[in-house]
Amino acid sequence: MTAAGRAGRAAGRRLSQADVGALQAALAAEQAAAYGYGVVGSHLSGTQAESASADWIAHQSAADKLDGLLAAGGATASPAGVAYQLPGAVHTAAQAVALAATLEDQVTSAYLDVVGRGSRDLRMLAAQQARAAALRAARWRGTTVAFPGLPGVTH
Amino acid sequence: MSADPTRRVVLAASAALPLLVAGCRGTQVLGSPPQLSAAVRQLRSAITAEQSMVASYQRVLTLLADGRAAAGSGPAARATLAGLLAEHQDHLRQLRARLIPGSPQAAGAGPLPAPSVTGVPTAPRQAIGYLGAAEQAASDRLLGGVLQVPPSLAQLFASISASEATHVPVLAATQVTQ
Repeated sequence: MTAAGRAGRAAGRRLSQADVGALQAALAAEQAAAYGYGVVGSHLSGTQAESASADWIAHQSAADKLDGLLAAGGATASPAGVAYQLPGAVHTAAQAVALAATLEDQVTSAYLDVVGRGSRDLRMLAAQQARAAALRAARWRGTTVAFPGLPGVTH
Repeated sequence: MSADPTRRVVLAASAALPLLVAGCRGTQVLGSPPQLSAAVRQLRSAITAEQSMVASYQRVLTLLADGRAAAGSGPAARATLAGLLAEHQDHLRQLRARLIPGSPQAAGAGPLPAPSVTGVPTAPRQAIGYLGAAEQAASDRLLGGVLQVPPSLAQLFASISASEATHVPVLAATQVTQ
């Protein structure tokens, strides 16, 4: 069964409290990322702006997917905020790139939380999304880490 | 064989998480070796795979330190590979920490097999291509393993799978002469 199929099966019945909590947190991270990429893109040009645009779309579509999972599981998805507090000031292209990487770190962590806290049916989808976010973070940052999304695990 | 009468195979979780008993075969000492739980099999296989990655990187680094590859873009490539190797050593340390020492032997599973590094090409560019393919395969295998293990270990598998996936584009961009 595909990850989407598993997750869909999970969503076909009522989600547990833990699933709802973890999915809402992942949704919040996706929504914050989508908002943040708007800021990121406005400070970039050329291929970097194109990357920011593609990543923005990826987060929008992931947020829609989470929204659908929550709704199908009998939960009400929290609406996106009008604006989000960014982790730091963004005035330059370098700051925009750093913000993109931070947003992806937060999304990676949120999905790993679903892996650790959510039901087994949600696990594969969440692990795939964590991997996709870690790939985007590494692309923006230009460096890799041993444990993406698990800042407490250092070595 | 250990004298541990309970013959338990235990997965050690991180300090913040409870210990997870993956399999308990009671006190019977004779008879056929107990089955390893799916979780312990997955963990042992992840450890073996990381050992192989570490050994493969060491092999390629040795290769790049020798002969013609040591000139030109060799030093930069070696620095990149050394950084990725360090991450694999971190992966291996964390995975090993989840397997309580001695317990696999107690379960009749025997020691972990020595890492196999056969098949690493000797030409630098091909060797780096080999590492890239190995990273992708290792990442996919760990991703598949998340359903077979308890949640805390699934989280670690997913994170390591993500880390290995990020190594693939780094290797693809690594230039070597020849």
